Amino acid sequence: MVSIVFAGVGGQGVVTVANIVGRAAVAENKNVLMTELHGMAQRGGRISVEIRIGNYHSAIIPDYTADALVGFEELETLHNISKLKSDGLILLNRRRIHPVTLTMMLRGYPEEEIERELKKHSVVTIEADKTALELGNKRAANTIMVGALFATGLLGLREESITGAIKRSLSQRHWDVNLQAFSEGKKLSLLEAPGIS
Amino acid sequence: MRDGISSGEGSRTEMVYDSLLEPEGKMEFLLGNEAVARGIYEAGVSVASTYPGTPSSEIGDVLFLVSERMGIKFEFATNEKVALEIAAAASSGGLRSFVFMKHVGLNVAMDSFVSLAGSGIKGGMVVFSADDPSMHSSQNEQDNRYLGKFARIVVIEPSSPQELKDFVVEAFELSEEIGHPVLIRSVTRVSHVRANVELGELRNKNEWNYKKDPSFVLIPENAYKAQAEISKRIEMAKSRKYQSTFNTIYGDSPNLIITSGSAYNYIDEALQLLKADARIMKIGMSFPIDSDTILREIKNAERVIFVEEGGPFIEEQVLSLCALNSVNKKFYGKMNGSVPLSYEMDVNRTMEFLSKIYGLPYETKEKPLDLAQRPPVLCPGCPHRATYYVAKMALKQRGIKNPIAPTDIGCYTLGYYEPYLLGDFCFSMGSSIGSSSGYSMSTGEKVISFIGDSTFFHSGIPALVSAYHNNHNFLLVVMDNSTTAMTGGQPTPETSSPFKRVDIERVVRGIGIENVFTIDPYDLKTSLDTFKKALDSEGLSVIISKRDCALNADRNRSPDEIKVFQVNQDKCNLCYNCVKNFACAALYVEDGIVNIDPELCDGCSVCSDPLVCPFNAIEVRD
Repeated sequence: MVSIVFAGVGGQGVVTVANIVGRAAVAENKNVLMTELHGMAQRGGRISVEIRIGNYHSAIIPDYTADALVGFEELETLHNISKLKSDGLILLNRRRIHPVTLTMMLRGYPEEEIERELKKHSVVTIEADKTALELGNKRAANTIMVGALFATGLLGLREESITGAIKRSLSQRHWDVNLQAFSEGKKLSLLEAPGIS
Repeated sequence: MRDGISSGEGSRTEMVYDSLLEPEGKMEFLLGNEAVARGIYEAGVSVASTYPGTPSSEIGDVLFLVSERMGIKFEFATNEKVALEIAAAASSGGLRSFVFMKHVGLNVAMDSFVSLAGSGIKGGMVVFSADDPSMHSSQNEQDNRYLGKFARIVVIEPSSPQELKDFVVEAFELSEEIGHPVLIRSVTRVSHVRANVELGELRNKNEWNYKKDPSFVLIPENAYKAQAEISKRIEMAKSRKYQSTFNTIYGDSPNLIITSGSAYNYIDEALQLLKADARIMKIGMSFPIDSDTILREIKNAERVIFVEEGGPFIEEQVLSLCALNSVNKKFYGKMNGSVPLSYEMDVNRTMEFLSKIYGLPYETKEKPLDLAQRPPVLCPGCPHRATYYVAKMALKQRGIKNPIAPTDIGCYTLGYYEPYLLGDFCFSMGSSIGSSSGYSMSTGEKVISFIGDSTFFHSGIPALVSAYHNNHNFLLVVMDNSTTAMTGGQPTPETSSPFKRVDIERVVRGIGIENVFTIDPYDLKTSLDTFKKALDSEGLSVIISKRDCALNADRNRSPDEIKVFQVNQDKCNLCYNCVKNFACAALYVEDGIVNIDPELCDGCSVCSDPLVCPFNAIEVRD
């Protein structure tokens, strides 16, 4: 039984990632529930996806019970922090996407508040966007996060289930870069937090 | 695959395509709405139609791609009423038919929906409505079970993607056996949940077997007879066979919880966390209700708790039943304030009210943070942003400080927000134009209203005919991005091959309106001049602001083709016009400096126009 929240901004591939995890669990005959929340905006709006593997009826994770929070964007990670249990893990892609309201008020990104809050939790930083660029495809950042999450062992799923799900979720011309991204993500996770799994 | 639809990546749609056609017994990871599409395939449906609306849209996205392979004739209709009539006609000849929509879409179809109860059906017919408690993407959270009961149409409520599929199949059996339509009421957290769904067997399709039947001609003489028939058919739906198909009872406890739909999903976990017990009666058919079983259960219980999403729909029916049978217990529900009346449920909310009813401790933790929010925004490159920008500029240059600006349902409703503030009236599809006539009758203030292309076709045209005929005076802007963008990019009547393309300008001119202008909003200079000209003219004017949805444009080009822009800091004068008035989501300010996020920039180039940046500081990134 595991509950995970994925949070980010529309356009970051958050739903694709959650789908990969869900599909991998279904391949192992596990029960999965997944639900997403997003506003009216297509791109640039907040998005969060909650996924639960195990015998649940509620797709929505009760507050303070999620095992992990996978953050694709800093502010949106913080917006979902009340889902995380007290000893839950945050996997954080260090990416800042400025809300337009702050921009219009000529205000910067709320860095200090975010750092202050993050200090209260156990956080593993994953430089997914940077690493994806190095791999030559910035759109693979989300698969790097899948690798990082897998390496924590929290999912309780086999590696071949995930790689199989990546293949079934993406068209063949994207397989190589995403499988590579997945394995980079695993490495990053173990490098940042060696004792994690 | 036909073109014209663009929901998600091609790969994803291809995958859904295949998984829905898999044989019986396969387990697939399906979105609730995808399970619905599989359900109608299993049920042997021949004809289906819809108008897209969240949270029901994905059913149409899937059918658009796979309906041919499923042997289903499917089409997007201009509105929900047309869609319902398409399905009713197919059913009158013995085919199984399906029509689906978001909850408020049923309001549009209501006139024929009520008649459908009177005519009854030949081939099984199911109407599917996805309600939106908490209004994630809607103007209200109306509970459409009431509309089913109002029309006297059977109401079925699934709780999960698996049940969505199974209940669709069962609903068709029921419908065809009793000759009456069935309404399936889903909600956001059923239609938009993804879960394991086990596929079932495929039933053969019905043959077309049309015979003229006066039941379908609801003139007073026939309608009079129909009233008695409706009651007979509803009575048939109460049979034990159907109730046991849709309803479930389990648990041993003097506390009876009567629940349905999505609200059911949170109860077991809430009870477990509270260490409380209950006997659960999960109602799948909530109109007509299973009176005998419910009464028996209530007689055996000490207290009875009603947990529903939406109004006290089952609660009202059960309490009437108890009053008629002189049964009195401790009742807890929405009607006496024990259960909250609005918004969707979850485990935490369920624990909150159950703990009070049970007299158990439950601590609600305070949400710790008050961080900057991220309100919805138009996408980078969205042509609506450019339209709103020039509209504001033209109004300002013409000294119109406070226009009345009715708007409509679509992405462009975001014009309501800062910095555009062009959205003063928004009720329902097409309401921008009707209300513009009302403002024009009531005041001499300048009225400028906004409607999208799909909404224009859906219900804007009759209102525009009325406005022209009655000599009204306003400027209508049709925000034409040639797609139904907000629901995921479904086609519109403007979509061409294999469809017949309908041209908005020709429709508008066909009405007789003469002040009609078509602009490309990316061309700010010409657009500005056109807006000023239209504002200067008396009577009814229409501007068609035409440019493809930025998301659609992106899907038709490779990312390498995008030329991203940047701010040349040597030239930037820090006037902040771009961030304050154009306000693209890709622009941001850090330490007083304006930057463009290269990941978000869509390369539309509009911000580099001298009408946005008079210092020419925004240029193509090297």
